[in-house]
Amino acid sequence: MADKGVQGRISSVKNIEKITRAMEMVAAARLRRAEQRISHLRPYAGAIRRMTRQASEAAGNLPSVPVLAERESVRTAAILLVTGDRGLAGAFNSQIIRAGLRAGGELEAEGKTVVYYASGRRGVSSLTFRKKDLKGEYTGFTDRPAYADARTIASDLTQAFVDGEVDRVDVFYNGYVSALTQEVTRETLLPLQEASIFEGDDDENHGEGDGDQPAGASDSGHSALVEYEPDPEEILQRLVPEYVQISIYRALLESTASEHGARMTAMRNASENAGDLIKDLTLQFNRERQAAITQEIMEVVAGAESLV
Amino acid sequence: MARTPFRVEVLTPEGLLFDDEVEMLSTRTAVGSIGVLANHAPLLALLEPTELRLYTAGSEVKAFAQGEGYLQVADSRALVLVDEVFEKDELDSSELQSRLDRASERVERAEDDSEEKRQAERERRRYEAFLKLAGRGR
Repeated sequence: MADKGVQGRISSVKNIEKITRAMEMVAAARLRRAEQRISHLRPYAGAIRRMTRQASEAAGNLPSVPVLAERESVRTAAILLVTGDRGLAGAFNSQIIRAGLRAGGELEAEGKTVVYYASGRRGVSSLTFRKKDLKGEYTGFTDRPAYADARTIASDLTQAFVDGEVDRVDVFYNGYVSALTQEVTRETLLPLQEASIFEGDDDENHGEGDGDQPAGASDSGHSALVEYEPDPEEILQRLVPEYVQISIYRALLESTASEHGARMTAMRNASENAGDLIKDLTLQFNRERQAAITQEIMEVVAGAESLV
Repeated sequence: MARTPFRVEVLTPEGLLFDDEVEMLSTRTAVGSIGVLANHAPLLALLEPTELRLYTAGSEVKAFAQGEGYLQVADSRALVLVDEVFEKDELDSSELQSRLDRASERVERAEDDSEEKRQAERERRRYEAFLKLAGRGR
């Protein structure tokens, strides 16, 4: 029968719809968990950043400790791309890769060497494919990043900075705004002098639950009165690596939440499209069936007429 | 004698652990043991692995085993940031011992003067301190 093909397509689209609906629901459940972890981390991350800022302002001209040193000129810049292990999440992965490569291109145009670090299989494979200088790859945890994962990445980057292999570290990740909105976010982690924490606006305060931080604590105004144990230099030596770790951990968590959000949206769209397609195909199927019936009736009528 | 209470928050990367009024907080900084009362001068300090004690109103003492961290005092509020913290009663000596062994192993393997080595050494120190706390009974 002529409609076998259409019938086959209808059932395969129905199967696809089932899969995309299931993926949408899984993503929604994971998104809730990921959101929770972000809201738990944000107060801590915010406090670490404020302390780093406070201590480094108190230390004044940052001392000649390797991890704090600002280079005279940036020769090598490291770019960390935070992507996901899996696709099917709309523009989630590609927008990070695109933004990272564009920034890399700009730095290269200024005569700098750019090395890449990537977390998530998508970022790794696409950088390898483009034959970029990939110094570090971290995969297998983007569904549920642990603090230890952030520590691994952070210690590689910090080490590269201390050893003078790189003079600057930028990270690109999908900042989590809401389930529907993800924002490509760029943060400079090192050198500290250029780090995003100095850009004034305390973006940590928009999160829930940290509205009642010790308000005056973040302001540098009375830094002269603050006691330090030990002196700010030594505090910074430990605080800076911690700040890099926590910033990366936060980027990983935000990226995970964004990934689930993006996948949820992408899968919802896919399910809706599948529904539309099923409607169209069913209509086509009915039309063809009706045409066949009409055809048969006409043949019967014609046959009967010829007998009379 | 009742002391003036002040607000203490204990934060970890996994969330808020404690947020309440206490009369005194005691811990250890890189310089030495410290007790903080209400109206303490503004302070920013590095904390060493040790026992964190919070003397809540009614002379009750909450004891935690805390890893490295930071203490910030401002406006008569204290903020304790620690990367790892256990309620003292929850310490498990055998678990701590195995973590300590793993950390020691990492210290052995890591290259001298690397970030990895420093981290492993910090971890070793932390679990040594925790073990001592667990051993001291409850």
